[in-house]
Amino acid sequence: MAPDNRSMPPLLQLDDLVVDIPGRPDGAALRLAVRPGQCWGVLGPNGAGKSTLLHTLAGLRPARRGGLRLDGHPMDDLPRRRIARHLGMVFQDQQDGFPATVLETALIGRHPYLRPWEMESAADYAAAQDALERTGLEGLEHRPVSTLSGGERQRLAIATALTQDPRVFLLDEPTNHLDLHHQVEVLDIVRHMVAHGRGAILTMHDVNLTARYCDHLLLMYPNGDACWGPTRDMLIPRALERLYGQPLAVGQVDGMPVFLPLGTEREDAEPVQSRQNDLSTRARHKDAPAP
Amino acid sequence: MTRLAGILTVLLLAALAALVTAVALGSVQLTPAQTLAVLTGDGDPLHRTLILELRLPRALAAFATGGLLAVAGALMQVLLRNPLADPYVLGLSGGAAVGALASMLLGAGTVLISGSAFAGAMLSTFIVFGLAHGTGSWTPTRLLLTGVVVAAGWGALISFLLAVSPTEELPGMLYWLMGDLSHARRIWPAWMVLVIVVLAALPLGRSLNVLARGPMQAAALGVAVRPLEWTVYIVAALVTATAVTLAGSVGFVGLIVPHMLRLVLGNDQRIILPASALAGGILLTLADTLARTLMAPQQLPVGVITAMLGVPVFLYLLHRSR
Amino acid sequence: MTGPEIPDPKSKKAHKWLLLLAIYLLFAAIFIPLHGHAAPLTVTDDRGRQVQLQAPAKRIISLAPHITENLFAVGAGERIVGTVNFSDHPEAAREIPRVGSYKQLDLESIIALEPDLIIAWEAGNVRSQLERLEAMGYTLYYSDPRNIRQLVRGLETLGRLAGHPEQGRRTARELERTLEGLRDRYAGRSPVTVFYQVWDRPLMTLNDAHIISQVIRLCGGRNVFGHLDAAVPRLNREVVLAADPEVIMGGGMGEEDPQWVEDWRRWTEMTAVARDNLFFIPPSLLQRPTPRLADGARRVCQALEEARQRRPEDGE
Repeated sequence: MAPDNRSMPPLLQLDDLVVDIPGRPDGAALRLAVRPGQCWGVLGPNGAGKSTLLHTLAGLRPARRGGLRLDGHPMDDLPRRRIARHLGMVFQDQQDGFPATVLETALIGRHPYLRPWEMESAADYAAAQDALERTGLEGLEHRPVSTLSGGERQRLAIATALTQDPRVFLLDEPTNHLDLHHQVEVLDIVRHMVAHGRGAILTMHDVNLTARYCDHLLLMYPNGDACWGPTRDMLIPRALERLYGQPLAVGQVDGMPVFLPLGTEREDAEPVQSRQNDLSTRARHKDAPAP
Repeated sequence: MTRLAGILTVLLLAALAALVTAVALGSVQLTPAQTLAVLTGDGDPLHRTLILELRLPRALAAFATGGLLAVAGALMQVLLRNPLADPYVLGLSGGAAVGALASMLLGAGTVLISGSAFAGAMLSTFIVFGLAHGTGSWTPTRLLLTGVVVAAGWGALISFLLAVSPTEELPGMLYWLMGDLSHARRIWPAWMVLVIVVLAALPLGRSLNVLARGPMQAAALGVAVRPLEWTVYIVAALVTATAVTLAGSVGFVGLIVPHMLRLVLGNDQRIILPASALAGGILLTLADTLARTLMAPQQLPVGVITAMLGVPVFLYLLHRSR
Repeated sequence: MTGPEIPDPKSKKAHKWLLLLAIYLLFAAIFIPLHGHAAPLTVTDDRGRQVQLQAPAKRIISLAPHITENLFAVGAGERIVGTVNFSDHPEAAREIPRVGSYKQLDLESIIALEPDLIIAWEAGNVRSQLERLEAMGYTLYYSDPRNIRQLVRGLETLGRLAGHPEQGRRTARELERTLEGLRDRYAGRSPVTVFYQVWDRPLMTLNDAHIISQVIRLCGGRNVFGHLDAAVPRLNREVVLAADPEVIMGGGMGEEDPQWVEDWRRWTEMTAVARDNLFFIPPSLLQRPTPRLADGARRVCQALEEARQRRPEDGE
């Protein structure tokens, strides 16, 4: 499927969506579309409402205003099972109240495809097995989840989403708890899925990894502002510094800008301003006040 | 599917064995031949009375009660995602006991006592879940805490009722509180509820599996969480109320049976629910047989036996599992 | 007791009545002998129910210690085929097979004994178990004497039910005579206030409706908590101190354990303690409604008489 197929309805469309963060005034109305082959990274400081946005996109909490469309259909008109086949959500924290094995956990990804009285078929088991292999969990099928490390659990959550095989992946900090190697592995899986016509929205804390893997960015400011666009247009040091309230140093690796946080107490924090280059002029800002 | 069939076959055979044991044993010794004669529609009239009018109804009542309590426990544990959840912890049996004792105090007949026990259990459920629901967050911790507090409240009311009751009502009341299968009548409603609930829960089993991983995850996987939670909660309340109405307060079954099964069979509700119904029935049938015969003619409260059987087995399994 | 109304013979209606009566008597005279000489035995139990037996019972199950004791007292001990725990009096009662405790009957054992009469204790047995037995067609007689009159009448009835009407009547008369004798002698003497302790923790007494209060009354005593509504009121120790009875009496955990009564000695300011008016009465003599109540009553009367003796001279 060609990533730039514009004639198809977007996989996920936000129509002036205002996320409902209790006790806060309306944030920016988001109007964007996730198309096949697109990977969106959501950046923002803690508390900016990234997870809330993701939960809203997954239909798990109502939006304050605006709406969502899946494949052109308003989400509110779709039954939950149908939504679950379209959107796969990986939560930041997995709770395991009851003991379960790795395979059982991956297998619940098939839930939206099965009729109530249906048992999982061999094909469902194969899908779960495949997902476990792709996340490097093969051999652990019969281990209780409670004995897994944090990283293994995170990969298992992604394996469950892979088993679910949705059109759009909603991943809440998928690289949490993972070492560098596994971070890259997970993001490679996402890139692979996206390359095969899926869409993905990731909330991330690592600006550089996000820039490397996502073709679009959504920046969420603590005051409710937001701006979004293609990654290359969004990597403006001033905007990112304002996003995190954190001075940044900028370098170049493979022709891509790389951002490093600077200690706030350091003397060379000031020169950051001067090192900012013309990148800012290429940014296409919306709602967010330009620096 | 074959695994489920295998497990259920084994449990069904065990259930049959438990029922036969319950019918064959009693404080009056009967030879297997005498028992068999009665079961084939023959035999001494006295033996017929013993088996058909005393032992069989009691065994069937024990089985239904045990099955119902275990299913209620299994459902509540999934609902609250807490292995400590149990109809008794949540104050349902306390409500039922207050209902039953109050109507005994007013000199009501058996039917009215059953009715008030049922009403008490339902009332308790609505109080607990209603209050815990509160402003919208239905967290397991809050629910459990509300249940524990409400149960303590019922406990106080029970003590009050016992204190103000005339002496001639006390034996019956204490008997009821300890759990009593000896005068359970009208067994078929309980069996009907048990069979219907287990059959109805089977298609919900996979959704419950998903729900056990948390409401958000469940919703993300296409489960209509709120309706499912309410269904489970009303069914669990109904099931508990039926059991408590039939046999008074019998503890431990709802807590221990689903737990033991989870340790052995894993956590697939499609297996756990029918298996709980059978294993709970088996446990209580055997426990009641022991209660009748262990110190015969002295009769022990069946709750004592369930605790004495359940606790060590549970501890052993818990110890072995890690 | 009023007999059937005798119609006025002067009216025409009355003649018709007399004629019918005569015909009835004639038929009765012809037919009753055909049924055998044992006319059905109909008695009223302590719940006011009519209990009917075709013939005196031969296989009796007694569901309370006092019932066993009373059956022995009317000479029907050998007809008891099963009884409950704690049936320890007289000695022969210990040999009778047990059918559970009075609180938890073993229905199976009861049925296996094939009784023709089950004598139940309303205040002690579990009602639903009794209902179950009744539903299975067994004849139940409730024995729950709450006053002396019921006790005396009950002994007589038990005698009739168990085929010993003579001895039943004798035992009943004897008990009645003893108690009447005590009443004649002591009831009019100067009143003594009494606290009767049934249980220690919780502290329990009895109100005036109870048979023990009746005994205290016939000995010229007055139960200080007799006016309370509850049959077995639970008390706070404070209330007893405030009531300051002249006599404290009670039973104990066993037949020879005066500990509960002795415990009151620490309250030296109480009249009963100061005058050493603490009396232990073996509980089975008073708390079981049986002919042994005569012994119990004798002891209560003696105790109260002692208390009268111990009154300070100047108080008289």
